[in-house]
Amino acid sequence: MSLLHAEYLKLSRRRLYLVMVLILAALVGLLAMAFLVFPQVAPEAAAEGGLPIIDKPAAYLFGAQQVAGQTWFPLILAVVMLGSEFGSTVWATALSRDSRRIPQITARFVVLAVAAWLAVTLGIAGWAAITAIAASGEGGLTVTDWLGLVWKVGLIELAWTAIGLGAVAMLRSVGPAIGAALAFYFVDSLVILWRPYQNISLSAATTAMFQVEIPGEFGEIFGGSSLALWHAVIIMLAWTALGFFLTWWGLHRRDA
Amino acid sequence: MNLGDPAIRVEGLVKHYRRTVALDGLDFQVPSGAITGFLGPNGAGKTTTFRSLLGLTRPDSGRIQVLDHEIPRGLNLVTKKVGAIIEEPGLIRALSGTVNLQVAADQLGFGHERIKELLEFVELEDDATRKVGEYSKGMRQRLALAAALIGDPDLLLLDEPLDGLDPAGQRAFRARLRDIADEGQTVVVSSHDLADIEALADYVVVIDRGKLVTQGPLEEMLAGAATRVVVADPGAARATLAAAGMEVRDDGETLVVEEVDGSRIVKVLAGAGIYPSEVSPARSTLESVFLGITGESGA
Repeated sequence: MSLLHAEYLKLSRRRLYLVMVLILAALVGLLAMAFLVFPQVAPEAAAEGGLPIIDKPAAYLFGAQQVAGQTWFPLILAVVMLGSEFGSTVWATALSRDSRRIPQITARFVVLAVAAWLAVTLGIAGWAAITAIAASGEGGLTVTDWLGLVWKVGLIELAWTAIGLGAVAMLRSVGPAIGAALAFYFVDSLVILWRPYQNISLSAATTAMFQVEIPGEFGEIFGGSSLALWHAVIIMLAWTALGFFLTWWGLHRRDA
Repeated sequence: MNLGDPAIRVEGLVKHYRRTVALDGLDFQVPSGAITGFLGPNGAGKTTTFRSLLGLTRPDSGRIQVLDHEIPRGLNLVTKKVGAIIEEPGLIRALSGTVNLQVAADQLGFGHERIKELLEFVELEDDATRKVGEYSKGMRQRLALAAALIGDPDLLLLDEPLDGLDPAGQRAFRARLRDIADEGQTVVVSSHDLADIEALADYVVVIDRGKLVTQGPLEEMLAGAATRVVVADPGAARATLAAAGMEVRDDGETLVVEEVDGSRIVKVLAGAGIYPSEVSPARSTLESVFLGITGESGA
C-alpha cells in the first residue's frame, strides 16, 4: 500500500495531471461539437463534409470509443512521470534504488493506469452529458453496457500506460521516449490500413473494444475495426505484458 | 575513539566500463559507529564503489559485505538499513520538502512519524511546504540527508555531500553528520576534498585509480612519523640529533625530527647536556599524508 501511496503522492501533488485532464476535456469538447452539436445545428453542411448524424444510443458508445481513443494521455503521463525521475538523480538514491523491482513497477503501473482511467472516464461522462442534451434519437445504454465500458477503458489505459513506461524505461530520457511513444501511436494507427497488421495492432484493438459501427466514410476512420472483442482483449493483454517486460528489463539493466 | 567492527567489507572489487577500469581489485573496510572519509581524486572510483555497495552497479568480480550481508545477494535485507545520497540529492523538485520525505518513507515502507523530527533536525521546518525546486543547494542537501535518514538507518553512504555548499552550509552539514555518528550510526562520506575529510572523519580510506592507497584512523594517520622538539638552542640540538643519524628540519621556533620515539630523542639530547622543554608528536595535515603516499601534486 505504501508504494501505491508514494506513486499517488508523486502524481497528485503535481500540476501535470490536472493540465493533461484539461487538455483531454478540451479535446472531448471539440469532438462533441464536431460529431454531436454541429450536425444538429447545420445538418446540410455536416452532410456535405461527410459527418454522420449519430443518434442515441449509439452516440454514447461512439463517444466512449473516441475518448478512450485519446491514447496519447496514458502514453505521455507514463513517460513524463517515470522519465522525470530519470532526469534527476532520484533514481540512484535511497529513495528509489529498489525501483527496478516488480512491486515498485507494479505500483507505478497501477497508479498511472488508474489515473488515466479516471481521466478518460470523466471524459466519457462529459461526452455522455453532451449526448443526453444534444444528440438526436432516444434511449441509452444499459447498466451492463456502462459497466462494460469501465473494464474496457481500464484495459486500454493499462496497455497504453505499459507502452509509455516501456518506452521511457528503455530510452531513459523523457524527450526521446515521448517521441518514440507518439511515433508508435501514429505508426500503429496508420499501419492498420494494412489488414494483416490489424491482428496485432494496439490501435485496432483499442477501437475494437467498443464494437461500434459508424456509417459513411468517417466510419472507415473512426469506426470499429473488424476484430472480435475477444481478439482485441488478447491483443491488449499481450501489449500490456510486453510493456511491463520492457519496463522491467529497461530498469533492470540500468546502471548495471 | 574506539572503532567498531566493520560495517562494510570490500575485497578485490573489480569493475570495468567497457575499456575503462573503474575499480581495480579494491579492498577496504569501514568501521561501524564512526564517520569514515572515503577519499580519492576525481575519477578514483568513489562513486562506482558507492553504487556497488548499494547494488546499483554490478561489479565484475570481488566481494562486498554490508552490515554482515553479502551484496548484491542480501540487498533486500540491507536496503532499509542503509540511507544514501549518490552524486546529487535525489529529490523531486516539483514536490515540497514534506511530500518528498513522505514519498521517501512510502518507497521504503516506513511510516511518516519521523518526518517532522527530521525536518527539525536538518533545520528545514520553516521551508517544509515550499517546493524543492525553490530550495538552495544547501537546503536540498539537508533535505536529502533527512530523506536518507527516514528509516533511521544503521549506515549512511553520502557521495560528495559537501560539494558546492558554502562554508556555513558545510559547517551545518558536518554538525548534523557528527550528531548522527554520536548516536552510533555509521557514516561514510566520500570526497575529493582533503580538508572536508580532515574536519569530519574518524577513519579514512584513501583510494586512487580504483585501488586502495591506505586506510586507518585519522588520528593515527595525522600523528605521522615525526616528533616536534622545543629547545633553548636549536642549532646545537640539530647538530646533536643529526650526529645520531636523525633527520631534522626547522619549523619556526621548533625542530621537527623524523623519529617517532620521543624517549630516544630526549636520551640523545640529554647525553649532550641539552634538555628540551617540549617533546610531542608532530601532527601532519591530511594533505601532506596524502601527497606523501600518492606522490601527486594534489587531490
